Amino acid sequence: MGQEPIKEMAGSSTSSSEACTDPYLRCAFNGAALTALGISHSALLAHSPQGCEYLVNNAFASQECDYMETMTLCTKLCVDEIVHGGEDILARTIREVKDLPISALFVLSACGPEIVGDDIVGVCEALQPEVKFRLVPIESAGFRGSQYDGIDIAMDTILKKLVKDDVEKIPGSVCLVAPHANANPTWPADLAWVKQVLFRMGIKVVATLTHRTPIAEIENIASAETSLLLSHDAGQKAADYLSATFGIEQVCKGIPLPIGMTNTQRWLTALGDRFDILKTAEEIVAEGERMVMATCRRKWPMARFMYRTPAAIVADATVGIPLVRFVTEEMEMTPELVALYTSHRSVWELLEGELKSLGLNPKVVYGTDVYKTRKSLQEVRPRVVFGSTIERHASEGLPVAYVVEVVRMMRQFRMINREYFGYTGILNLLECVQNEWVMGWRSKERRYEAKW
Amino acid sequence: MRQIAIYGKGGIGKSTISSNLSAALHEMGHTVMQVGCDPKRDSTRILAEGKFIPAVLEEHREQLRIGKDEYAINLKNIVFKSPGGIYLVEAGGPEPGIGCAGRGVLTALQILKDLKAFSTYNIDVAIYDVLGDVVCGGFSMPIREGFAEEIYLICSGGFMSIYAANNIARAVQRLAKRGDAGLAGIICNSNGDEAFEHAFIPAFAKRLGTPFVQFVPRSPVIQACELGGRPVVEYAPDSQEAEIFRNLAKAIIENDSRVIPTPINDLAELETMYRQCLVKDKK
Ligand code: SF4
Repeated sequence: MGQEPIKEMAGSSTSSSEACTDPYLRCAFNGAALTALGISHSALLAHSPQGCEYLVNNAFASQECDYMETMTLCTKLCVDEIVHGGEDILARTIREVKDLPISALFVLSACGPEIVGDDIVGVCEALQPEVKFRLVPIESAGFRGSQYDGIDIAMDTILKKLVKDDVEKIPGSVCLVAPHANANPTWPADLAWVKQVLFRMGIKVVATLTHRTPIAEIENIASAETSLLLSHDAGQKAADYLSATFGIEQVCKGIPLPIGMTNTQRWLTALGDRFDILKTAEEIVAEGERMVMATCRRKWPMARFMYRTPAAIVADATVGIPLVRFVTEEMEMTPELVALYTSHRSVWELLEGELKSLGLNPKVVYGTDVYKTRKSLQEVRPRVVFGSTIERHASEGLPVAYVVEVVRMMRQFRMINREYFGYTGILNLLECVQNEWVMGWRSKERRYEAKW
Repeated sequence: MRQIAIYGKGGIGKSTISSNLSAALHEMGHTVMQVGCDPKRDSTRILAEGKFIPAVLEEHREQLRIGKDEYAINLKNIVFKSPGGIYLVEAGGPEPGIGCAGRGVLTALQILKDLKAFSTYNIDVAIYDVLGDVVCGGFSMPIREGFAEEIYLICSGGFMSIYAANNIARAVQRLAKRGDAGLAGIICNSNGDEAFEHAFIPAFAKRLGTPFVQFVPRSPVIQACELGGRPVVEYAPDSQEAEIFRNLAKAIIENDSRVIPTPINDLAELETMYRQCLVKDKK
């Protein structure tokens, strides 16, 4: 202890000639699609080549859209549209679907059309009188940044284009921001937990930006008294915009999301404080903690034997920052590496505040990529990694005994959503650790490694 | 078939040199096609009596509009014969403000190839007159895709034209490693400062590792021909200028040098070289 954490910003530690730097994150186009597909009774038109459209499919799955309700379209651009521009084909496609029974069509542009100067905003404005639904152009070329930048771009457009400002404030109400910027593969469960808690506290959710959100709710966002950001990776810009434009106060600002006992307690208390319902917050905390402890007593997870084991956390900031405390306090391990996909200042500040308050001094990598993760794992040599399938491969050949796959970049089929937020979330995380520990004992080779 | 590309800074006189070169080659008995690779589509005007001919990409756009593709294009609508007998093509470009002109040039060249334009007209020398500077990767595509094999740089004594030529040489250096393309030489289209140009441009060519092929003086005869919409060898066949273009055509046909150039990577070095020559010239 006592030393400053080692900080590495994106791109600072390796030259491009030294290694391939595979990113963890998809492009801005994916983030924009993820956001637009969270609005119900609408359709999405990808003004892109068909390769980019794959990201729309991915976003479709992540937002759990129903193909019976949500239609996605693509202009499937080819070289002709790169040479001559793709505005004609965009206009033609919009006209072809002009009678769709939807409230909005989100038109998203990918890299190609933005490079050659297609004006999707102009095309949408020109065609608006011809169609029955709202046309919402989102300039979201992948080169604008990562999927988090795409989420911010899309939320900015949606707010500026759709929100009405002549609405009455609803006392004790909240607007939920960016629940989908969360590397928990079944993040809708986190959102559901938040909604359930808010319901119990009597706080009204005016709108969710975005998940199965009707346009009417988006239009009505200005009536919210507060906003609640559900991600550390994206959405701060939207929360700032809501605050500056409609006087919507951001609550629980600057504290980690509710993953683990202390984080959940702190987050619920902040909410209770703001809405003057501290008693209900305390009840939820007490019940939750009782439930977690009773469950642990009954099931007695053996993974508790990992006491003081050196651990690494490789995740987005949303899951990764709260995990630091969970790993330290609940699992009683010692985080020796924290590698986060994102690198913006608010992430720095939040993580450093947590490390300071926990008295930890791990190696910290911001804006990590797969190569940097591998190098850091080689350097730190943890016994346990909280990460994804990627880290399972990245730690091959290293003395990493357990990789707890809490954030899965690769797809793994799950029918039931499982939250990490809140008290059941703690049990879900414990379950992941326990199963990984058990799996270690199932493999002869890994059992040997784990033991010795 | 010889595939010759003329590159240089915008306004340096590439179209003038290309057109007069095409005419001189035609006079030598070659079947020549001049392909303008500039969205302004003004390369072939001198050979077409001052008229603009329809461009490949315009025709292509029309076909796309009616739901057809490039194979619906009739060669007769994109390849024109000048009164002097030279085949003329203008690649054209997308509508201003949209699309990618660089990729467009390549598409136009590909259309010519796909429609077998060169073999249909038995072309033995194709001259590509390529847009001013290497403004983006798209304009180096004719080199990258193997359309332009022999590259000539046009420059004058003006620093910016030298700077552009050096930049193009850098692109050629990068791309020549991929295929058969190489720098074949430098042509000076004089801006009037002949003493300096005679001193500097051959030295610059030497520095790039390529031959200095021809000096073309600033001349009222050439300007008059341009205004008249005819090449010098047709308009003033007995003039000294016509002889210069005949020499240029002969030199190009005989030149089999293709080098990977050695451009100056440091702008300060180029400036110093230029300044030193300028000082000597003034002395
Ligand atoms: S980076 Fe651009 S080209 Fe690649 S998938 Fe994203 S939008 Fe498409």
